[in-house]
Amino acid sequence: MARANRAFAVLLALAFASSAILLALLLTLVPRVEQLLTQGAADTTDLVAALILVLAICGISLGLAALFRQLLATAVLIRSLVARKVSVPSAVLSAAVGLDLDGRIDVVADDRPFSFCYWFVRPRVCLSTALVRRLDHDELRAVLLHERYHLRHRDPLRLVVARYFAAGLYVVPVVDELLGFYMLQKEIAADEEAVRVDGVASLASALYKLLPDADDVSLGLLVPVSSLSVTEARIDRLVAGRQIGLALSPVSVALSGGALLGAAVLIAIQGGASVAFEALPRLYAVPGLLLGPASLLFAAAIDGGLHQLRPLSQRLLARP
Amino acid sequence: MRRPDLRRLRRPERAEEKFLGPLEAEVMDRLWKRRSATVRDIVDDLARSRELAYTTVMTIMVRLHEKELLERTREGKTYLYRPALTRQELRERLSRDLARGLVADFGDAALAAFTAELGTVDASHRAALRRVAQKDNRGPR
Repeated sequence: MARANRAFAVLLALAFASSAILLALLLTLVPRVEQLLTQGAADTTDLVAALILVLAICGISLGLAALFRQLLATAVLIRSLVARKVSVPSAVLSAAVGLDLDGRIDVVADDRPFSFCYWFVRPRVCLSTALVRRLDHDELRAVLLHERYHLRHRDPLRLVVARYFAAGLYVVPVVDELLGFYMLQKEIAADEEAVRVDGVASLASALYKLLPDADDVSLGLLVPVSSLSVTEARIDRLVAGRQIGLALSPVSVALSGGALLGAAVLIAIQGGASVAFEALPRLYAVPGLLLGPASLLFAAAIDGGLHQLRPLSQRLLARP
Repeated sequence: MRRPDLRRLRRPERAEEKFLGPLEAEVMDRLWKRRSATVRDIVDDLARSRELAYTTVMTIMVRLHEKELLERTREGKTYLYRPALTRQELRERLSRDLARGLVADFGDAALAAFTAELGTVDASHRAALRRVAQKDNRGPR
């Protein structure tokens, strides 16, 4: 069960370390902003400094945009759900007995069967009437146990923080991969909590009942995808106890490592303003200590930037 | 063993909306075959494979009518139902709706959900899950 926590801790540690390095780089360059603004870029070091400042501004904006989007989407969703809130059915109350969820369950009228945990400081569990109708007592209890895990771990809050860092630290794509891993592990951990308390059958049965019907499959709705979905990974875990390890893509690791190394070198030479850098022969120093590290940073920024844009463009295309 | 594509998992694009229940799908299926039918026709039709009360089928057909999947015209004392869409049209509408389904609605909302990701599950995982769901002393219900 500790895997989800560990995944989140590793993500945070990497995010803080990377942020510290990148902020340090930003701070060494800030004094040059005024000079750049008044005189423009005079030589290569100025040009590199200007470009890095642009990258930093992009990162900060992406992070804030992710944060804002999430808060806004959450607020909009909750508003729409609150409008459809119904009194908690007795089936839910009886399934929740002894789960320490008193007053923290909402039931909303919706034809789609769903349940989730929301809000940040004092999270709540939301169930749809369709879900309540479809599940029996034990299955409902399994779903509530699953959500209770998210509630106790404040997963919605963790998610906001993790997504903020993943967006802002786009030059360190490993953070984004760790986010994906954490997203999967928290679901598996929540499942394990439910299994530990009530056994595997109730949870498996609830999951099975909530899967899109086989009829939908025959309608050709379930387009086969090559990779395992979160649900499939959860089923693997429930059925066979199979655990998915963290497999970072070598490209991400290389880009992230390169970007941080590049940033560290640029800090060391103070973005080209240090005396030691000036003293070195420019023929070696400029490509080796300035352009080299800077291009590592830019390579990661381009890759990360493209990844950030992809879901956004997909979402825009999916709109009618 | 396949690994999940973690980047894809993060923002699931394919939201499965539970649009048609099993019985609804079955009724639609009969109506596409027959082109038009009364509730009684469908009850008789389905009776070959399963016993269903007239009111059950009627409820389902009224619901399908409300979902604008069936059109109906009065024929004497009863209604004659017709599919409002062809199978192909429904399929297109559903896939369009799926893209805008539950998860898409939730979008960037910070939620930890039991069911938000439910969707792409292949047959072998489905079968494995059913086996686990039915073991212990929880029989099939």
